[in-house]
Amino acid sequence: MTGGYITGGWTFVWVAYGWTALVLTAYAVSLFVRLRRSR
Amino acid sequence: MLANHRFPKLPYALVALGALCLLAGSYLGLFVAPPEHYMGNVQRIMYVHVPTAWNDMLALTFAFFCAVMFLFKSDFKWDARMEAAIEVGILLAFLLCCQGAIWAKPTWGVWWDWDPRLTTTAVLLFAFAGILALRRFVDDPVKRGVWSAVATVIAYVDVPIVYYSVRWWNSLHQVQSSPSTVSSQFYLPLRLNAFGVLFLMTGFIMLRARIASRRLASELAPPPQELEGELV
Amino acid sequence: MITALRKEFLLQWRTRAQAVAVFVFGATALLLFSFAIGPNSAALRQHAAGFLWLGLLLSSTLTLSESFLAEMENRAFEGLLLLPVSPRALYYGKAVANAIQLIVLGIALVPVMVVLYDAGTTEIPMLLLVIALGAAGISAPGTLYSAMTSQARAKQTLLPLLLFPLIVPVLLASVKATSLAILGDPMGQATSWILLLVAFNGIYWSLCGLLFDRVVED
Repeated sequence: MTGGYITGGWTFVWVAYGWTALVLTAYAVSLFVRLRRSR
Repeated sequence: MLANHRFPKLPYALVALGALCLLAGSYLGLFVAPPEHYMGNVQRIMYVHVPTAWNDMLALTFAFFCAVMFLFKSDFKWDARMEAAIEVGILLAFLLCCQGAIWAKPTWGVWWDWDPRLTTTAVLLFAFAGILALRRFVDDPVKRGVWSAVATVIAYVDVPIVYYSVRWWNSLHQVQSSPSTVSSQFYLPLRLNAFGVLFLMTGFIMLRARIASRRLASELAPPPQELEGELV
Repeated sequence: MITALRKEFLLQWRTRAQAVAVFVFGATALLLFSFAIGPNSAALRQHAAGFLWLGLLLSSTLTLSESFLAEMENRAFEGLLLLPVSPRALYYGKAVANAIQLIVLGIALVPVMVVLYDAGTTEIPMLLLVIALGAAGISAPGTLYSAMTSQARAKQTLLPLLLFPLIVPVLLASVKATSLAILGDPMGQATSWILLLVAFNGIYWSLCGLLFDRVVED
Protein backbone atom coordinates (compact mmCIF):
# COMPACT_ATOMS: atom_id res chain seq x y z
CA MET A 1 0.00 0.00 0.00
CA THR A 2 1.22 3.50 -0.76
CA GLY A 3 1.42 6.67 1.25
CA GLY A 4 -0.17 6.83 4.65
CA TYR A 5 -3.02 4.48 3.83
CA ILE A 6 -3.79 2.28 6.79
CA THR A 7 -4.81 -1.24 5.87
CA GLY A 8 -6.84 -3.51 8.07
CA GLY A 9 -7.72 -1.91 11.35
CA TRP A 10 -11.06 -3.69 11.55
CA THR A 11 -10.11 -5.10 14.94
CA PHE A 12 -9.70 -1.61 16.31
CA VAL A 13 -13.02 -0.54 14.81
CA TRP A 14 -14.86 -3.48 16.36
CA VAL A 15 -13.22 -2.95 19.73
CA ALA A 16 -14.17 0.73 19.69
CA TYR A 17 -17.80 0.09 18.77
CA GLY A 18 -18.14 -2.92 21.03
CA TRP A 19 -16.66 -1.17 24.03
CA THR A 20 -18.87 1.88 23.47
CA ALA A 21 -21.98 -0.28 23.21
CA LEU A 22 -20.98 -2.27 26.29
CA VAL A 23 -20.33 0.80 28.45
CA LEU A 24 -23.55 2.53 27.35
CA THR A 25 -25.59 -0.61 28.00
CA ALA A 26 -23.99 -1.14 31.38
CA TYR A 27 -24.77 2.46 32.32
CA ALA A 28 -28.38 2.06 31.18
CA VAL A 29 -28.72 -1.08 33.32
CA SER A 30 -27.17 0.62 36.34
CA LEU A 31 -29.55 3.58 35.90
CA PHE A 32 -32.50 1.22 35.74
CA VAL A 33 -31.39 -0.64 38.89
CA ARG A 34 -30.81 2.59 40.82
CA LEU A 35 -34.15 3.97 39.65
CA ARG A 36 -35.91 0.85 40.92
CA ARG A 37 -34.09 1.03 44.23
CA SER A 38 -34.86 4.73 44.79
CA ARG A 39 -38.61 4.18 44.48
CA MET B 1 -40.79 17.58 41.90
CA LEU B 2 -39.01 17.64 38.60
CA ALA B 3 -40.47 18.89 35.36
CA ASN B 4 -39.96 15.55 33.64
CA HIS B 5 -42.46 13.97 36.01
CA ARG B 6 -45.13 15.39 33.75
CA PHE B 7 -43.90 12.97 31.09
CA PRO B 8 -42.79 9.93 33.06
CA LYS B 9 -42.24 7.84 29.94
CA LEU B 10 -40.35 10.47 27.94
CA PRO B 11 -36.80 9.51 29.01
CA TYR B 12 -37.42 5.85 28.17
CA ALA B 13 -38.67 6.86 24.74
CA LEU B 14 -35.57 9.01 24.26
CA VAL B 15 -33.26 6.17 25.26
CA ALA B 16 -35.03 3.79 22.85
CA LEU B 17 -34.96 6.36 20.04
CA GLY B 18 -31.28 7.07 20.71
CA ALA B 19 -30.43 3.37 20.63
CA LEU B 20 -32.29 3.00 17.32
CA CYS B 21 -30.46 6.00 15.79
CA LEU B 22 -27.14 4.62 17.02
CA LEU B 23 -27.84 1.17 15.55
CA ALA B 24 -28.83 2.64 12.18
CA GLY B 25 -25.95 5.12 12.11
CA SER B 26 -23.42 2.52 13.14
CA TYR B 27 -24.73 0.09 10.53
CA LEU B 28 -24.28 2.74 7.84
CA GLY B 29 -20.90 3.72 9.21
CA LEU B 30 -19.61 0.17 9.49
CA PHE B 31 -20.98 -1.50 6.38
CA VAL B 32 -22.31 1.04 3.90
CA ALA B 33 -19.92 4.00 3.99
CA PRO B 34 -16.78 3.47 1.88
CA PRO B 35 -13.39 3.28 3.62
CA GLU B 36 -11.78 6.68 3.86
CA HIS B 37 -9.04 7.68 1.44
CA TYR B 38 -6.11 7.84 3.87
CA MET B 39 -7.32 6.34 7.10
CA GLY B 40 -8.95 3.26 5.61
CA ASN B 41 -11.34 1.40 7.83
CA VAL B 42 -9.99 2.96 11.02
CA GLN B 43 -11.83 6.10 9.94
CA ARG B 44 -15.05 4.33 10.93
CA ILE B 45 -14.22 4.90 14.59
CA MET B 46 -14.87 8.58 13.88
CA TYR B 47 -18.58 7.89 13.30
CA VAL B 48 -18.97 7.11 16.97
CA HIS B 49 -16.07 9.17 18.35
CA VAL B 50 -17.03 12.58 16.98
CA PRO B 51 -20.71 12.36 18.10
CA THR B 52 -19.56 11.33 21.57
CA ALA B 53 -17.24 14.33 21.69
CA TRP B 54 -19.95 16.80 20.64
CA ASN B 55 -22.42 15.43 23.14
CA ASP B 56 -19.89 15.30 25.95
CA MET B 57 -19.26 19.01 25.53
CA LEU B 58 -23.02 19.50 25.48
CA ALA B 59 -23.53 17.49 28.69
CA LEU B 60 -20.81 19.36 30.56
CA THR B 61 -22.05 22.71 29.26
CA PHE B 62 -25.48 21.75 30.57
CA ALA B 63 -23.87 20.88 33.93
CA PHE B 64 -22.24 24.33 33.97
CA PHE B 65 -25.58 25.96 33.12
CA CYS B 66 -27.28 24.00 35.95
CA ALA B 67 -24.52 25.04 38.36
CA VAL B 68 -25.00 28.72 37.52
CA MET B 69 -28.78 28.38 37.81
CA PHE B 70 -28.45 26.67 41.19
CA LEU B 71 -26.11 29.37 42.50
CA PHE B 72 -28.59 32.07 41.48
CA LYS B 73 -31.93 30.40 42.20
CA SER B 74 -31.06 27.89 44.96
CA ASP B 75 -33.67 25.57 43.47
CA PHE B 76 -32.74 21.94 44.07
CA LYS B 77 -34.08 20.75 40.74
CA TRP B 78 -30.99 22.36 39.22
CA ASP B 79 -28.81 20.51 41.73
CA ALA B 80 -30.33 17.17 40.69
CA ARG B 81 -29.90 18.02 37.01
CA MET B 82 -26.32 19.08 37.57
CA GLU B 83 -25.48 15.82 39.32
CA ALA B 84 -27.05 13.90 36.43
CA ALA B 85 -25.30 15.93 33.75
CA ILE B 86 -21.92 15.57 35.46
CA GLU B 87 -22.29 11.81 35.76
CA VAL B 88 -23.34 11.37 32.13
CA GLY B 89 -20.59 13.79 31.10
CA ILE B 90 -18.04 11.66 32.93
CA LEU B 91 -19.42 8.54 31.22
CA LEU B 92 -19.05 10.12 27.78
CA ALA B 93 -15.59 11.51 28.62
CA PHE B 94 -14.49 8.03 29.67
CA LEU B 95 -15.80 6.61 26.40
CA LEU B 96 -14.03 9.40 24.51
CA CYS B 97 -10.70 8.58 26.11
CA CYS B 98 -11.13 4.87 25.29
CA GLN B 99 -12.17 5.54 21.69
CA GLY B 100 -9.40 8.10 21.28
CA ALA B 101 -6.79 5.63 22.48
CA ILE B 102 -8.15 2.92 20.17
CA TRP B 103 -8.07 5.42 17.29
CA ALA B 104 -4.56 6.59 18.07
CA LYS B 105 -2.97 3.13 18.14
CA PRO B 106 -3.33 2.19 14.44
CA THR B 107 -3.10 5.82 13.30
CA TRP B 108 -0.05 7.06 15.16
CA GLY B 109 1.29 3.81 16.60
CA VAL B 110 0.78 4.82 20.24
CA TRP B 111 -2.20 4.53 22.53
CA TRP B 112 -1.91 8.09 23.74
CA ASP B 113 -0.33 10.81 21.64
CA TRP B 114 -1.11 13.89 23.81
CA ASP B 115 -3.50 15.29 21.31
CA PRO B 116 -4.91 18.47 22.92
CA ARG B 117 -8.53 17.40 22.56
CA LEU B 118 -7.97 13.95 23.99
CA THR B 119 -5.78 15.25 26.81
CA THR B 120 -8.30 17.95 27.67
CA THR B 121 -10.98 15.25 27.83
CA ALA B 122 -8.86 13.23 30.23
CA VAL B 123 -8.31 16.28 32.44
CA LEU B 124 -12.05 16.96 32.35
CA LEU B 125 -12.77 13.35 33.27
CA PHE B 126 -10.65 13.65 36.41
CA ALA B 127 -11.87 17.14 37.27
CA PHE B 128 -15.53 16.17 37.16
CA ALA B 129 -14.92 12.81 38.83
CA GLY B 130 -13.41 14.85 41.68
CA ILE B 131 -16.61 16.87 41.89
CA LEU B 132 -18.73 13.71 42.12
CA ALA B 133 -16.39 12.49 44.88
CA LEU B 134 -16.88 15.79 46.68
CA ARG B 135 -20.64 15.25 46.48
CA ARG B 136 -20.20 11.82 48.02
CA PHE B 137 -18.34 13.16 51.02
CA VAL B 138 -20.56 16.10 51.97
CA ASP B 139 -23.70 15.14 53.87
CA ASP B 140 -25.49 18.49 54.14
CA PRO B 141 -27.49 18.82 50.89
CA VAL B 142 -27.29 22.64 50.85
CA LYS B 143 -23.51 22.71 51.24
CA ARG B 144 -23.14 19.82 48.80
CA GLY B 145 -25.17 21.66 46.18
CA VAL B 146 -23.42 25.00 46.54
CA TRP B 147 -19.92 23.56 46.73
CA SER B 148 -20.27 21.23 43.79
CA ALA B 149 -21.87 24.05 41.78
CA VAL B 150 -18.90 26.30 42.61
CA ALA B 151 -16.48 23.52 41.69
CA THR B 152 -18.35 22.90 38.43
CA VAL B 153 -18.11 26.57 37.46
CA ILE B 154 -14.39 26.58 38.26
CA ALA B 155 -13.71 23.35 36.38
CA TYR B 156 -15.71 24.43 33.33
CA VAL B 157 -13.85 27.73 33.06
CA ASP B 158 -10.64 25.69 33.02
CA VAL B 159 -11.55 23.79 29.82
CA PRO B 160 -10.32 26.33 27.24
CA ILE B 161 -7.21 27.09 29.31
CA VAL B 162 -6.28 23.41 29.49
CA TYR B 163 -6.95 23.00 25.78
CA TYR B 164 -4.72 25.85 24.70
CA SER B 165 -1.95 25.06 27.16
CA VAL B 166 -1.80 21.43 26.00
CA ARG B 167 -1.85 22.56 22.38
CA TRP B 168 1.09 24.91 22.89
CA TRP B 169 2.91 22.36 24.98
CA ASN B 170 2.52 19.62 22.39
CA SER B 171 3.20 21.76 19.34
CA LEU B 172 6.66 22.48 20.71
CA HIS B 173 7.46 18.76 20.45
CA GLN B 174 5.91 17.67 17.19
CA VAL B 175 3.66 18.81 14.42
CA GLN B 176 0.14 17.76 15.25
CA SER B 177 -1.40 15.72 12.46
CA SER B 178 -5.11 16.18 12.77
CA PRO B 179 -7.58 13.65 11.41
CA SER B 180 -8.83 14.75 7.99
CA THR B 181 -12.07 16.66 8.00
CA VAL B 182 -15.12 14.62 7.24
CA SER B 183 -16.23 14.96 3.63
CA SER B 184 -19.86 15.14 2.55
CA GLN B 185 -20.44 11.46 1.71
CA PHE B 186 -19.72 10.52 5.31
CA TYR B 187 -22.31 12.86 6.80
CA LEU B 188 -25.31 10.57 7.19
CA PRO B 189 -23.91 7.99 9.66
CA LEU B 190 -22.22 10.81 11.55
CA ARG B 191 -25.47 12.77 11.90
CA LEU B 192 -27.52 9.71 12.81
CA ASN B 193 -25.04 8.78 15.51
CA ALA B 194 -24.85 12.37 16.75
CA PHE B 195 -28.61 12.46 17.25
CA GLY B 196 -28.51 8.94 18.68
CA VAL B 197 -26.01 9.90 21.36
CA LEU B 198 -27.93 13.14 21.94
CA PHE B 199 -31.23 11.32 22.59
CA LEU B 200 -29.53 8.66 24.67
CA MET B 201 -27.70 11.29 26.72
CA THR B 202 -30.85 13.36 27.28
CA GLY B 203 -32.75 10.28 28.40
CA PHE B 204 -29.92 9.23 30.71
CA ILE B 205 -29.67 12.70 32.25
CA MET B 206 -33.43 12.85 32.85
CA LEU B 207 -33.47 9.41 34.50
CA ARG B 208 -30.38 10.16 36.56
CA ALA B 209 -31.86 13.51 37.66
CA ARG B 210 -34.95 11.63 38.78
CA ILE B 211 -32.81 9.41 41.02
CA ALA B 212 -31.00 12.44 42.40
CA SER B 213 -34.19 14.37 43.07
CA ARG B 214 -35.70 11.41 44.91
CA ARG B 215 -32.68 11.19 47.18
CA LEU B 216 -32.75 14.97 47.70
CA ALA B 217 -36.44 14.81 48.58
CA SER B 218 -35.74 12.25 51.29
CA GLU B 219 -32.80 14.26 52.60
CA LEU B 220 -34.53 17.64 52.65
CA ALA B 221 -37.68 16.32 54.34
CA PRO B 222 -36.59 14.12 57.25
CA PRO B 223 -39.01 11.35 58.25
CA PRO B 224 -41.53 12.45 60.89
CA GLN B 225 -40.35 10.15 63.69
CA GLU B 226 -36.96 11.91 63.75
CA LEU B 227 -38.65 15.27 64.20
CA GLU B 228 -40.70 13.94 67.06
CA GLY B 229 -37.55 12.56 68.64
CA GLU B 230 -36.01 16.02 68.54
CA LEU B 231 -39.06 17.60 70.13
CA VAL B 232 -39.04 15.11 73.00
CA MET C 1 -8.05 42.57 54.06
CA ILE C 2 -4.75 43.82 55.49
CA THR C 3 -5.97 42.76 58.92
CA ALA C 4 -6.90 39.35 57.57
CA LEU C 5 -3.45 39.07 56.03
CA ARG C 6 -1.77 40.03 59.30
CA LYS C 7 -3.81 37.37 61.09
CA GLU C 8 -2.58 34.80 58.56
CA PHE C 9 1.05 35.75 59.01
CA LEU C 10 0.73 35.58 62.76
CA LEU C 11 -0.79 32.11 62.45
CA GLN C 12 1.92 30.98 60.07
CA TRP C 13 4.65 32.33 62.31
CA ARG C 14 3.21 30.35 65.21
CA THR C 15 3.23 27.18 63.17
CA ARG C 16 6.64 27.68 61.56
CA ALA C 17 7.72 24.20 62.61
CA GLN C 18 5.13 22.92 60.16
CA ALA C 19 6.61 25.02 57.34
CA VAL C 20 10.02 23.48 58.00
CA ALA C 21 8.44 20.02 57.92
CA VAL C 22 6.80 20.79 54.57
CA PHE C 23 10.13 21.95 53.20
CA VAL C 24 11.78 18.71 54.31
CA PHE C 25 8.92 16.81 52.66
CA GLY C 26 9.46 18.70 49.39
CA ALA C 27 13.21 18.15 49.48
CA THR C 28 12.68 14.44 50.14
CA ALA C 29 10.33 14.28 47.18
CA LEU C 30 13.00 15.91 44.98
CA LEU C 31 15.51 13.34 46.18
CA LEU C 32 13.11 10.49 45.45
CA PHE C 33 12.28 11.74 41.94
CA SER C 34 15.93 11.43 40.97
CA PHE C 35 15.77 7.69 41.67
CA ALA C 36 13.11 7.42 38.98
CA ILE C 37 15.65 8.57 36.38
CA GLY C 38 18.84 7.07 37.75
CA PRO C 39 22.26 8.68 38.13
CA ASN C 40 22.24 10.23 34.68
CA SER C 41 23.02 13.90 35.20
CA ALA C 42 22.04 14.97 31.67
CA ALA C 43 18.59 13.40 31.96
CA LEU C 44 18.17 14.73 35.49
CA ARG C 45 18.99 18.24 34.30
CA GLN C 46 16.46 17.87 31.52
CA HIS C 47 13.69 16.91 33.94
CA ALA C 48 14.72 19.17 36.82
CA ALA C 49 11.96 21.72 36.23
CA GLY C 50 9.27 19.06 36.19
CA PHE C 51 10.52 17.54 39.41
CA LEU C 52 10.72 20.93 41.11
CA TRP C 53 7.11 21.70 40.27
CA LEU C 54 5.83 18.25 41.17
CA GLY C 55 7.61 18.55 44.51
CA LEU C 56 6.11 21.97 45.05
CA LEU C 57 2.66 20.73 44.02
CA LEU C 58 2.77 17.77 46.41
CA SER C 59 3.97 20.03 49.23
CA SER C 60 1.25 22.55 48.40
CA THR C 61 -1.48 20.04 49.24
CA LEU C 62 0.00 19.80 52.72
CA THR C 63 0.05 23.56 53.32
CA LEU C 64 -3.32 24.13 51.66
CA SER C 65 -5.14 21.37 53.51
CA GLU C 66 -3.78 22.76 56.77
CA SER C 67 -4.69 26.33 55.92
CA PHE C 68 -8.24 26.24 57.30
CA LEU C 69 -7.42 23.92 60.16
CA ALA C 70 -7.02 26.63 62.79
CA GLU C 71 -10.36 28.15 61.83
CA MET C 72 -12.20 24.84 61.73
CA GLU C 73 -11.05 23.80 65.16
CA ASN C 74 -13.10 25.48 67.89
CA ARG C 75 -15.55 26.69 65.22
CA ALA C 76 -13.59 29.92 64.91
CA PHE C 77 -14.69 30.41 61.32
CA GLU C 78 -18.26 31.19 62.29
CA GLY C 79 -16.86 33.81 64.63
CA LEU C 80 -14.78 35.32 61.84
CA LEU C 81 -17.82 35.52 59.60
CA LEU C 82 -19.68 37.46 62.27
CA LEU C 83 -17.01 40.18 62.22
CA PRO C 84 -17.70 43.21 60.03
CA VAL C 85 -15.27 41.87 57.42
CA SER C 86 -16.45 40.60 54.07
CA PRO C 87 -15.75 36.91 53.42
CA ARG C 88 -14.02 38.08 50.27
CA ALA C 89 -11.39 39.91 52.32
CA LEU C 90 -10.90 36.77 54.39
CA TYR C 91 -10.44 34.76 51.19
CA TYR C 92 -7.93 37.13 49.67
CA GLY C 93 -6.00 37.33 52.93
CA LYS C 94 -5.86 33.57 53.12
CA ALA C 95 -5.00 33.11 49.45
CA VAL C 96 -2.22 35.72 49.49
CA ALA C 97 -0.78 34.14 52.63
CA ASN C 98 -0.88 30.68 51.02
CA ALA C 99 0.74 32.05 47.86
CA ILE C 100 3.55 33.66 49.84
CA GLN C 101 4.09 30.47 51.79
CA LEU C 102 4.36 28.52 48.54
CA ILE C 103 6.69 31.11 47.00
CA VAL C 104 9.02 30.85 49.99
CA LEU C 105 8.85 27.06 49.77
CA GLY C 106 9.58 27.17 46.04
CA ILE C 107 12.55 29.46 46.49
CA ALA C 108 13.84 27.20 49.26
CA LEU C 109 13.54 24.15 47.01
CA VAL C 110 15.52 25.75 44.15
CA PRO C 111 18.96 25.22 45.78
CA VAL C 112 18.02 21.60 46.45
CA MET C 113 17.16 21.21 42.78
CA VAL C 114 20.38 22.92 41.68
CA VAL C 115 22.50 20.62 43.83
CA LEU C 116 20.70 17.36 43.09
CA TYR C 117 20.08 17.83 39.37
CA ASP C 118 22.97 20.13 38.41
CA ALA C 119 20.32 22.53 37.13
CA GLY C 120 21.82 25.94 37.78
CA THR C 121 20.58 29.01 35.99
CA THR C 122 21.60 32.61 35.66
CA GLU C 123 18.08 33.77 34.88
CA ILE C 124 17.23 34.40 38.53
CA PRO C 125 14.57 37.14 38.00
CA MET C 126 12.84 34.97 35.42
CA LEU C 127 12.86 31.98 37.76
CA LEU C 128 11.50 34.07 40.63
CA LEU C 129 8.74 35.42 38.42
CA VAL C 130 7.70 31.93 37.33
CA ILE C 131 7.72 30.65 40.91
CA ALA C 132 5.64 33.60 42.07
CA LEU C 133 3.08 33.21 39.28
CA GLY C 134 2.91 29.44 39.57
CA ALA C 135 2.51 29.53 43.35
CA ALA C 136 -0.21 32.17 43.02
CA GLY C 137 -1.96 30.05 40.41
CA ILE C 138 -1.95 27.02 42.71
CA SER C 139 -3.02 29.06 45.70
CA ALA C 140 -6.09 30.84 44.23
CA PRO C 141 -8.22 27.76 43.52
CA GLY C 142 -6.40 25.77 46.22
CA THR C 143 -7.55 28.11 48.98
CA LEU C 144 -11.15 27.95 47.79
CA TYR C 145 -11.12 24.15 47.58
CA SER C 146 -9.40 23.96 50.94
CA ALA C 147 -12.28 25.92 52.50
CA MET C 148 -14.68 23.32 51.11
CA THR C 149 -12.77 20.15 51.76
CA SER C 150 -11.74 21.10 55.29
CA GLN C 151 -15.43 20.74 56.23
CA ALA C 152 -15.98 17.53 54.27
CA ARG C 153 -15.17 13.97 55.15
CA ALA C 154 -12.05 12.44 53.55
CA LYS C 155 -10.47 15.89 53.22
CA GLN C 156 -6.95 14.59 52.64
CA THR C 157 -8.07 12.80 49.47
CA LEU C 158 -10.53 15.34 48.16
CA LEU C 159 -8.27 18.38 47.96
CA PRO C 160 -5.72 16.93 45.51
CA LEU C 161 -8.50 15.17 43.64
CA LEU C 162 -10.21 18.49 42.95
CA LEU C 163 -7.12 20.66 42.65
CA PHE C 164 -4.72 18.63 40.48
CA PRO C 165 -6.81 18.40 37.29
CA LEU C 166 -7.66 22.08 37.56
CA ILE C 167 -4.09 23.34 37.69
CA VAL C 168 -2.77 21.28 34.79
CA PRO C 169 -2.24 24.53 32.82
CA VAL C 170 -0.30 26.07 35.70
CA LEU C 171 1.88 23.00 35.96
CA LEU C 172 2.50 22.86 32.21
CA ALA C 173 3.33 26.54 31.94
CA SER C 174 5.50 26.66 35.06
CA VAL C 175 7.47 23.55 34.13
CA LYS C 176 8.01 24.80 30.60
CA ALA C 177 9.06 28.29 31.69
CA THR C 178 11.37 26.97 34.43
CA SER C 179 12.83 24.46 32.01
CA LEU C 180 13.52 27.22 29.50
CA ALA C 181 15.23 29.23 32.24
CA ILE C 182 17.50 26.29 33.08
CA LEU C 183 18.18 24.85 29.63
CA GLY C 184 18.18 28.12 27.70
CA ASP C 185 15.50 29.73 25.60
CA PRO C 186 16.75 30.23 22.04
CA MET C 187 13.27 30.70 20.55
CA GLY C 188 12.01 33.15 23.18
CA GLN C 189 9.05 30.93 24.10
CA ALA C 190 9.10 31.71 27.80
CA THR C 191 7.07 34.88 27.35
CA SER C 192 4.01 33.03 26.05
CA TRP C 193 4.09 30.62 29.00
CA ILE C 194 4.34 33.52 31.44
CA LEU C 195 1.41 35.17 29.71
CA LEU C 196 -0.57 31.96 30.16
CA LEU C 197 0.27 31.99 33.88
CA VAL C 198 -0.77 35.63 34.12
CA ALA C 199 -4.07 34.87 32.38
CA PHE C 200 -4.78 31.87 34.63
CA ASN C 201 -4.04 33.96 37.71
CA GLY C 202 -6.22 36.81 36.49
CA ILE C 203 -9.16 34.49 35.85
CA TYR C 204 -8.96 32.46 39.03
CA TRP C 205 -8.07 35.21 41.48
CA SER C 206 -11.22 37.08 40.43
CA LEU C 207 -13.51 34.07 39.95
CA CYS C 208 -12.62 32.38 43.24
CA GLY C 209 -13.01 35.66 45.11
CA LEU C 210 -16.51 36.01 43.67
CA LEU C 211 -17.48 32.43 44.52
CA PHE C 212 -16.00 32.31 48.03
CA ASP C 213 -18.96 34.19 49.51
CA ARG C 214 -21.24 31.35 48.47
CA VAL C 215 -18.90 28.67 49.79
CA VAL C 216 -18.77 29.94 53.35
CA GLU C 217 -22.30 31.25 53.74
CA ASP C 218 -24.65 29.21 55.86
